[in-house]
Amino acid sequence: MQLFVEQLINGWALGSLYALFGIGFGLVFSTLGILNAAHGTYASWAAIAGYYAVDRFGVPFPVAVAAGVVGGGLLAVVVDQIGFQPLRAKKTGMLGALITSIAFWIILDSLAGFATGQQSLAFPATSYPNQMVVLGPLRVPQMQIITILALLVCTVGIYLLIQKTRIGAAMRAVGWNEVAAALGGVNARMVILLTAFLAGATSGLAGVLGGISTSNVSFTLGEGLMLKGFAAVVVGGYDDVRGTAIAGICLGVIEVFVAQYISTSFRDGFTYLLLLAFLIARPRGLFGSANFVRA
Amino acid sequence: METLLDLWAGYGSTVTFASVNAFFALSTYAVLSTGVLSFTTVVFAAVGGFLSAQMAGKFGVPLWAAFPMAALGGGFAAAVVAGAFLRLESHWMALASLALVLITRVTALNTPLLTGGVNGLIVPLRVEPLELALLLALCALVFWRLHRSWYGLAARAVREDAAVASTMGISPYRVQFAAFLISGVVGGLGGAALAFTLQFISPETYFIGIAFTMIASTVLGGSFHWLGPIVGAAVFTALPTAMQAIVPQIEDVAKGVVLLLIMIFLPRGLIDPRAWGLRRAARLREENERRQQAAERDAHA
Amino acid sequence: MNRISKAARAVRGVVAGAAALAAGFAGPALAAPAAGEYGVGFITENTGPLAAAGVSYHRGAQLAVDEINGSGWIGQGVKLKLGEKESGSDAARAVQALTQFSADRNVIAVTCCILSPVAAALKPVTTNAKLPLVIYGATLPGLPQPPYVTSIVGLPGPQEVKMSKMLAETLKPKTVTYFVNADNEGFQNRFKAAQKVMEEAGAKTAGVVSILSADTDFTAPATQAIATNPDLIMVWTTQTPAAGIIAALRARGYAGKISASDVISPAPVFKKIGPALAGVPFPILFAAEISSTPEAKSFIEGYTKKFGEAPDTYSAQGYTALYYIAQGLKNTNGKPTREDLAAAIGQIKSNDHNVYGGVPMVNGQAEVENSLVANWTADGKVVRWENK
Repeated sequence: MQLFVEQLINGWALGSLYALFGIGFGLVFSTLGILNAAHGTYASWAAIAGYYAVDRFGVPFPVAVAAGVVGGGLLAVVVDQIGFQPLRAKKTGMLGALITSIAFWIILDSLAGFATGQQSLAFPATSYPNQMVVLGPLRVPQMQIITILALLVCTVGIYLLIQKTRIGAAMRAVGWNEVAAALGGVNARMVILLTAFLAGATSGLAGVLGGISTSNVSFTLGEGLMLKGFAAVVVGGYDDVRGTAIAGICLGVIEVFVAQYISTSFRDGFTYLLLLAFLIARPRGLFGSANFVRA
Repeated sequence: METLLDLWAGYGSTVTFASVNAFFALSTYAVLSTGVLSFTTVVFAAVGGFLSAQMAGKFGVPLWAAFPMAALGGGFAAAVVAGAFLRLESHWMALASLALVLITRVTALNTPLLTGGVNGLIVPLRVEPLELALLLALCALVFWRLHRSWYGLAARAVREDAAVASTMGISPYRVQFAAFLISGVVGGLGGAALAFTLQFISPETYFIGIAFTMIASTVLGGSFHWLGPIVGAAVFTALPTAMQAIVPQIEDVAKGVVLLLIMIFLPRGLIDPRAWGLRRAARLREENERRQQAAERDAHA
Repeated sequence: MNRISKAARAVRGVVAGAAALAAGFAGPALAAPAAGEYGVGFITENTGPLAAAGVSYHRGAQLAVDEINGSGWIGQGVKLKLGEKESGSDAARAVQALTQFSADRNVIAVTCCILSPVAAALKPVTTNAKLPLVIYGATLPGLPQPPYVTSIVGLPGPQEVKMSKMLAETLKPKTVTYFVNADNEGFQNRFKAAQKVMEEAGAKTAGVVSILSADTDFTAPATQAIATNPDLIMVWTTQTPAAGIIAALRARGYAGKISASDVISPAPVFKKIGPALAGVPFPILFAAEISSTPEAKSFIEGYTKKFGEAPDTYSAQGYTALYYIAQGLKNTNGKPTREDLAAAIGQIKSNDHNVYGGVPMVNGQAEVENSLVANWTADGKVVRWENK
C-alpha cells in the first residue's frame, strides 16, 4: 500500500511536468495556430538559464526558477518574431511556420549542446529544496510537492485568464480568426506576443523543474518533455488547459504504474495506445466541445 | 574524368540519399496537394521498409519484387490510416498523424519478430543509385501525368477550398482518400529504398527525423508542383554536406539558418508555379501594352 | 615408416619455426612505408545524444596523432593526418561521411562509431570500398570482420564477471536487485553475466527494474527498487540513466550498497551527481588516477597538457584506435594501398602501444585482460575499490 501511494505521487509529479509543458505547447497551437517543433527547446533553454544562474551567480532557488521562466518566455517571443511574424503577412498557414519552427529546433538544439559542453548537467544538490517531507509512513521529496503545486497554480491561473478576463477573450478571438479579431478592435500583435511569452514561460517552468528533479540539464530534456507533453495535449484537447492538465497527470501515473506492475517494455506502448484510442474515439480531447470548428 | 569519378565517389551517397528523401517528400506532397498536412508517410515508409527487408532477408525475394511489395504494403497501411483519420478536422489530423509516428516506433520496438526490435535488421540487398534514379523518374512521371489529369485539377480545387470543390461535384473525401493511397505507395517505396540503401534498419530509422526531413523538403522545394519535393529533397539533403564543407564547427546551426532564410524569403518554396504564372502574365501584359502603344502610334500616324 | 614421418614432421616443424622467426624479426625491420602524409578519417560524434563521450574519443585520437607524428613512431618522415566528419550518431550521416572519406584518395583508413547499429550500417559500405575501418566504441559481438572491419574495444563480459565475483565474495549479499536497459543488448548481456555470477554465489534476485535509454525521470524506478529491499543494487544501464538512478536512489534515502559500470567513470558524471556516487564500485580498463603503466602515464600527462583535463576511458579508446592504425601502417611496405594496410591491420596479434598493459587481438577483435575495480571518493577522486 505504501509503495502504491508513493508511486502514485511519483507518477503525479512526473505527469505534472508533462502537463505544464503541454499547456504551453497547446496554447501556441490553439491561439496562434502553430505546430511548434521548437517548443521543446524552450524547456531545455529555460533549464540551462536556471542552471547558469545558479552556477555563475549562486542565486537562490526561486530566482533560478524565475530566470528559467523568464528566459523561456523571452526565447519564445524572439522565435515568434523572427520565425513566425514574417510569415503571418504572407498567409502561409500552418505549413510555413512549421518549417521555420523546425529550423529553430535544429538551431536551438545545436546551440544548447554547445551551451552545456555536450554534457548533461545537474543542479547542485544544495541549490534547491532536496529534503524529504515525512507524511505519516510516506516520504515525499520536496521537489515533487513543488511541481504538483506549480501545475495546480498554472492551470487555474491560465484557465481564469483565458475564460474570465478581457485579455483572455482577446486571445480566444485571435485563435478563432485573427483578421476578425483585429476588426473587432483587438490588438492582435499584443495578443500574439503575450501568448508566445506565456507559452514559453509555462514550458520553461516545466523545463527548470524537470531539469532539477531529474538531474538532467541538456538538450535531451526538452525532447523527452515534448513527446509526452504532446501526448497530453492530444488526449486532453489542445484548446483547454484543464484537459491538458488532467491528461498529463493521468499519463504520468499510468506510465509509473505500468512500469511498476506490468513491464517497462509496455510502458510507452500503453501511453501511445491510450493516445490512439482517444484520437479515434474522442478526437476533441477530454473537454473538447463537439461544435468547435476552427476558421 | 578522374576528378569526376572522385566527386561521384564522395558525393554519390548524398545523391542517393537525396533520391530516397525525394520519395518521402513526394509522398508528403501527395496528401499536401489535397490540403492535408500529415506525417503518416513515416508510417508507410516503416511498413514498406520492414516488409521489403524481411522479404529479402527471410524469403530471398529479389529487389524487383521487393519494391512492389513495399508499395502494396504502404498503400494498404494508407487505406487503413485514411479510413480512420480523414474524418478528423485539419488541425487534429496533423496532431494525430504525428502521434501515429510515435506509436509506430513503439510498436516496431516491441515486435522484434517482425522488425528485429532494438537490434534492427541487416538488409542483404543493395539498390544501385541508377536503379533508384529510374524508380524515382517513374514516380515523377506518374506525378506529372496526375498533375495534368482530372485528379490533379480536383486535388488543387480541394486544397484551395474544399467547400467550393464539393459544390462543383468533387468529393473532397474521395480525392483525399486517393491522395492517401498515392502517398502510401510512394512512402512504401521510399521506405524500401532507404532499407536497401542503408542495408541496416531499426525502429529508430523510421522516426521523427524522417518526418521533419520530408516535410521540410516538401515545403522548401514548393508544395504546389510535383517538381518541388524532388528539388527540395536534393537541397535539404545536400545542405548538411555543404555546411560541413563550409563551416564544419557549426554545421547544424548553419543548416537551420539557411532553412529559416529560405522559408522567410520564399515562403512558397523554390519551385512556385504561381510565381512562373505571375511572371508570364507580367510579360504578356508588357507585350500587350507595347503592341497597343505601337497600334496607337500607327493610328496617330 | 612411423619414425620417418615423425622425423619429417620434426624437420618441418623446425623449418616452419625458423621461417616464422625470420619473418618475425625481418618483417618489421624490412617493412617501412614510404615517407609522406597518410590520411585517417575520423567519423566524429561531437554532437547528438552521445556527444559527451564523442568529444573524448575525438580528443584521444588527436593526441595520438600528435604523438605519432612528433616521435616519428611509424618511421622516418611518415606522418598521419586526421580528417574529421561529423555523424551526430546518425546512421545515414555516418554512411555519407564514410563514402566521402572513401572518395578521398589520401585517406587510407577510417575509424568510427559509438553505436553498434551505426557500425553495422557502415560495415557493408567499408567492405565494398575496401577501406579499413577501425571501431573505437561500439561493442556488439560479431561486428569485426577482418581484414576491413576491426575493433579495438574489448567486448563486455569478462570485466563485469570479475567485479561481480569480487562483490559476491566481499559483500556476501543475500538478495540483489538489478537495473537494466530494456533497449540495449550490450547492457542486457552485462546484466545477465552479473546475475549468473551472483546466483551461483547464492545471492537471490530480489527484482529486475528495466528502464529505457531515453528516460530521464528515475524517482519511480528508484522507489520500485528500494521496495524490494535488497542487500545490493547493481546498475547496468547507459550513462545518463545510470547517473540518474544512483542520484535518485540516494535522494530517496537508500543507504545500502550500489554497484555500476564504467559509464559513471568520466569526470563530468561526478561533477554532475556529486558525493552520491561515492563508494559505488565499477569495473574499468583505464582510469587516469589509477592506471600506472608507463604508456598510461605519458598518455595522461600529454592529454592533460593538451586539453586541460584528465583523460577518461573513452579518450583512451580513441587514442588506442589511432595507434592501432599506425601499427598496421608500420608493417606495410613502400607506398601501401588501403588493401595492404587492411591486411597489415588484420595480422596484428597484439597492440604495441596501449594504456591498458596489453591488448591482444583475436580475429580483429580486441580482448581485455587487465580490468580494475574502482570507485569515486566523496571529494571526486577515482581510487581502487575496497569494501568499507
